Amino acid sequence: MNLSRRMLTKEEEDAVGDEIEVRREDQDKINKFSRLHSRELIIEDELKVKTKEKEELDDITMELELADEDDLVPYKIGDAFFHLPLPQAQELLGLSTAKIEEEIGELEDKMGTIREEMTQLKVELYARFGKTINLET
Amino acid sequence: MAEIQRRLQALSEDYTKLQKDLQDTVTSRQKLEAQMQENLGVQNEFEKLKDGETIYKLIGPVLLKQDRTDAESTVKGRLEFIEKEISRLEGHIKETQAKMEKKKTEIIQVQTSAQAAAGAGPQAVKGRA
Repeated sequence: MNLSRRMLTKEEEDAVGDEIEVRREDQDKINKFSRLHSRELIIEDELKVKTKEKEELDDITMELELADEDDLVPYKIGDAFFHLPLPQAQELLGLSTAKIEEEIGELEDKMGTIREEMTQLKVELYARFGKTINLET
Repeated sequence: MAEIQRRLQALSEDYTKLQKDLQDTVTSRQKLEAQMQENLGVQNEFEKLKDGETIYKLIGPVLLKQDRTDAESTVKGRLEFIEKEISRLEGHIKETQAKMEKKKTEIIQVQTSAQAAAGAGPQAVKGRA
């Protein structure tokens, strides 16, 4: 956790003046921020996994380009390996790669939306509570 | 009095940070241990191989043929790296544990001196159990 915004010193606390009331809508915003942050972390992890998968697919696609046309490629489908002719293996790889790219795109879009919402909430909450709230993640 | 409170707060945060550091390092060390076992297993298998038997590497969904010498040296290199990392982490673990002990002592010292200072004023009344 980033502790760059430390807890207020006694002086800072005095300087803030009277406590701002936490209205129902404020609490809702704070809760929403928290939920969004949790989703953000989950999506980050998913993205990591999918990006790694895509890298592997890219690697093997490249390797196969150097392979002998006559070689049979052991291709894993489920728990079994099928010896496929090179062109067919390459086709399947292409399909998998396209699918994963699409999934990554969707995750990145979701991530973008979440981050936008979080920024908006930050603006609103900091405007109301200033230094008395810490929204750094 | 407030000064002591602040100091205790700061020391307490330091201690928590150290605890997290230790936990993270221990987790990494465990991961490395698992990787080492896996690579040792592979090395064992390699030693049992007869001439002419093929080695494949799973990249994505494809089993790609590997050159025996390349594969063996890759695994050997990985094992060396893992061993070095494990030693490094173990060193870090011991360091962090020592820092935590020191921090604990500091905290106790501050707490004792806080009690001594408060002792001059109103006493905390201990109820009977």
